[in-house]
Formats: sequence, C-alpha cells, structure tokens
Amino acid sequence: MLVKFEDVSVSFDRHSILRDINLLIEPGDFVSFVGESGSGKSSLLRLMYMDLMPTNGVVTVGEFSSKTITSQQVPFLRRKLGIVFQDFKLMEDRNVYDNVAFALHVTGASSNEIKKKVVTVLTQVGLSHKRNAMPHQLSGGEQQRVCIARALVNEPFLILADEPTGNLDPGTSLEILKLLLDINHKGTAVLMTTHNYDLVRKAQGKIMQIKDWQVREVQLKQ
Amino acid sequence: MAILYSFKEGFSGFRRARLSSVITIFTMTISLLLLGLFAIIYRNTNSIIQSFRDKVEMEVFIASEADSAHTAAIRSALLNVPGIQSASFISKEEAAKIFKKEFGEDINAVLDFNPLPASFKLRLVDGYKNSDSAKVVYSALTKIDGVDDVVYRKTLLEILDRRVKVFIGASAAIGLTLLIAAVFLVSNTIRLTIYAKRKMITTMKLVGATRGFIRMPFLIEGMLHGVLGGILSACMIWSIVYLAKKFVSAELSDFFAVEAYFYAAMIAFGMVLGLLGSGWSVKRFISESIVLN
Repeated sequence: MLVKFEDVSVSFDRHSILRDINLLIEPGDFVSFVGESGSGKSSLLRLMYMDLMPTNGVVTVGEFSSKTITSQQVPFLRRKLGIVFQDFKLMEDRNVYDNVAFALHVTGASSNEIKKKVVTVLTQVGLSHKRNAMPHQLSGGEQQRVCIARALVNEPFLILADEPTGNLDPGTSLEILKLLLDINHKGTAVLMTTHNYDLVRKAQGKIMQIKDWQVREVQLKQ
Repeated sequence: MAILYSFKEGFSGFRRARLSSVITIFTMTISLLLLGLFAIIYRNTNSIIQSFRDKVEMEVFIASEADSAHTAAIRSALLNVPGIQSASFISKEEAAKIFKKEFGEDINAVLDFNPLPASFKLRLVDGYKNSDSAKVVYSALTKIDGVDDVVYRKTLLEILDRRVKVFIGASAAIGLTLLIAAVFLVSNTIRLTIYAKRKMITTMKLVGATRGFIRMPFLIEGMLHGVLGGILSACMIWSIVYLAKKFVSAELSDFFAVEAYFYAAMIAFGMVLGLLGSGWSVKRFISESIVLN
C-alpha cells in the first residue's frame, strides 16, 4: 500500500470539498482522477503531499500519516514524492540543470551524485541537450519535461501530477502522457488529475471520477 | 554540503536580483546614516553636558576659630559624606593669593588683615553632579561642626538638569522614531524583495526543502545587504567628518568625530538589521501553503 485514505473529509469555511473518501493506491498503479474544475481533484493530491490536512479521517502516504506527521517531517515526505504541476513551478532565475539539481541539493547529496543523477534524468526526459537553457527559452512541453525530470531525480515511489497537460497542446499533451506511462512501466506509481477525457482514454490504468465530493472508479466509453 | 550550498545561493541571490539588491542596500544605507548621525549628535552633546557637570565643585568655608586639629577633623568628616570624591585644602594664605590673582590687589594691604577663610574644594562623584543630589550633599556638609558656609553653582546645575531632561526626552523620541522608521523601511524593502521570490520558495517546499534550508540563503543575502549598507553609511559619515574638517571648521569636525569602533558598530548593526528583516519576511512566506486557498 502506497496511499490510503480512511474516511477522509475536507471542508473550508463549512463548505465540503471532499466527503468520506476511502482510497487505496498500490505500487505500480497508474490512476487518472477526472472531474470538473473545482471538484476537488487538486485537493485530493494536496492531501497526499500534505499541503492540506483532512478535516476528518486519516491519509497515509508511505510511512507518513496525517495523524502523526509534524511540520518538520513534511519535507521528508515530499522528498519521496515527485510532484508535477500544470504551471510547472520552475525557478526562472536558473537553468534546466540547476532546476533539477535543486531537488537533490535539498537532500544534501554530493556534487558527484547530483551530476550523475541530473544528467541521467534529463536524458530520460529527452532534454540533456538543453541542460543550460533557461526556463523561458523552452516550450511549454519542454518546461513540463524539466518539471518531470525534477520530480524523478529523487527516485520517488509516487508521482503526483496535477493537470500536467493543462497548459499544453494536444500533441504535446500526448508526449507528456507517454513519458508518465513510461515512468509507470518502470515501476513508479503515477497519480494524475485531469479534465481531458481524451487523454484519460489513452492512458492505461484506473480512472477515478470525483463528483459530488465523492471518488468512485469509472469506465469511460471509447 | 547544505551550508556551502546556502552560502552559494545567498551570494547568487544577490547577483541574480541586482536591482532589488541595490534598492535594499540603498534603503539600509540611508536608514543607518540617519541613525548614525543621530547617535553621534546625541553622544557628543551628552559629553558636552558632562563636561559642564564636571566643572561643578563645592567650596566649604571653615570657621576662623578652627585650629589645625579641628581642620583635619573637618576634612575627614567631609570625606565621609556620601558623594564626595576628593577634598583639597586652601589655606587663608592661599586664598589671599587667589584673591590677588583675580583682583590684582593684596587683601592684607587693603584691609590690614586677611579676612578670607580657609576652605576645602570638593569634587563630587559622577552620580552626584545633579541639583537634587547636590542639595543632599550641601545639607550634610552644613551640619559638620566647624563648617561656616558651603557654596556651589546651584543655578547652573538646576539649568543643566532642566535642559538635560528636555534633551533626553527629545532624543529618545527622535531616536525611537528613527529606529522604528529604519526597521519598518528595511523590513518592508526586504519583504518586497522576498515577495518577488515567493514562487521560488513554493518550489523549494515542493521538492522537500526544510524551513532552515529555505531560510538560510535569504538570511545570508540579508546579512550581505546589511553589511554593505553599513559599510556605505560608515563611509558617508567618515566623509562628512573629513569634509567638515577641510571646508568648515575643526570644531565642527571634532563635534562629529567618532572612534573606529563606532564604524564597526554601524556595520554590525546593519548586519543584524538585514538578518532580522530577512528572517521575519521569509518566515511569512515559508508558512504559506504551496497552493493558496
């Protein structure tokens, strides 16, 4: 078990976002969470990287539980996750290499280790030749690849991708999906939120719909 | 490794955001310059007041019938009064000499005898050089057997005390206002600089950076801004002293002159200001969620 939700509810100012969610994610899973904007997809992922705490219930991610985790332990949970956002969240003041290397610097890795891992992961996402480029010199697809490389570099057990193709054209979106599927085939669990149903149809794995504060597994018509 | 990286990041942050660094250093320089000038004016005005106080002495006149044994007894009684630092004896003959020096006439020749009494000039301990304490000392001295009269510059002390109260009150108000303005200005400038890097802080949290790891480069950068602001303001004050000496007057230059440690203190204060300003500002952004609700 990688992720477990036990009767998890979240509310803001007495408004429910999620209600009594029970969820189990196993190693190697590829799960797409679909739902309309504002349905609570991002909140579901935020609960997993503990940027948001449940109002009721318990979220367990790996060895960390929302019930017992302290604010000092949260960074150590995040080092075991790879988080990918729609808006990339790259640091604009440094190049591709330094953006990816930063995720290793925070762990106190040696410079030799950093060099080796960053080059490997940039090769994996097909960007080793653009390691010296600044984020603004890259296309949206390339920026998302850097973001994925940064998420992969710490060898996480789980990738959380929040609308990873939200800012990309259909062709590039498909490339990013293929990259995520490739990562999943190598054994890393991937959880992706999206409202792009075409993309979800192309993805293998479970599809979970978030509707009326609930999460349920669905099958999409081809 | 992490510490080395933080230092590197701190210095890089300085280089990467040149404009905001320049603005922060400029704000620091102006704030420290104003505070520094105020500190100099306060310190030197205070030492002028102290030099006036140092001139305050008490003179105790001895009754004419006191013999040498009685005079010795009076001396030890005087020295036992709290607040008396030293007593120097002026005999009748010495008093006559002083009279001649001051008025150009020999009192023995004018009056056929010396009416001037022997006396003791008393120096007061520092804490007693004010009108309230002087009154207490005065009353104790007049009670000593064989003491005829006690005189001191009572009015001067009273005026000094009144002026000092106004001076201290005004200085405290101005100093506090300047300090608050400096802290407010510097911390807001730093906050704006860090606000521009808010996205970067979010990314740092996203990849699992601890609070300490995020904070450290900002503290180093803030310290660097403070030290540079301190150095620049110290240079400006040194230039003011130098220019005053060269183009205005030596007295004005002396009034503004300060020891080397004052410059070091300004740089250290700048460093602390930069450190605290950055610490406070970055704390707020570290506490924010990655995704703002």
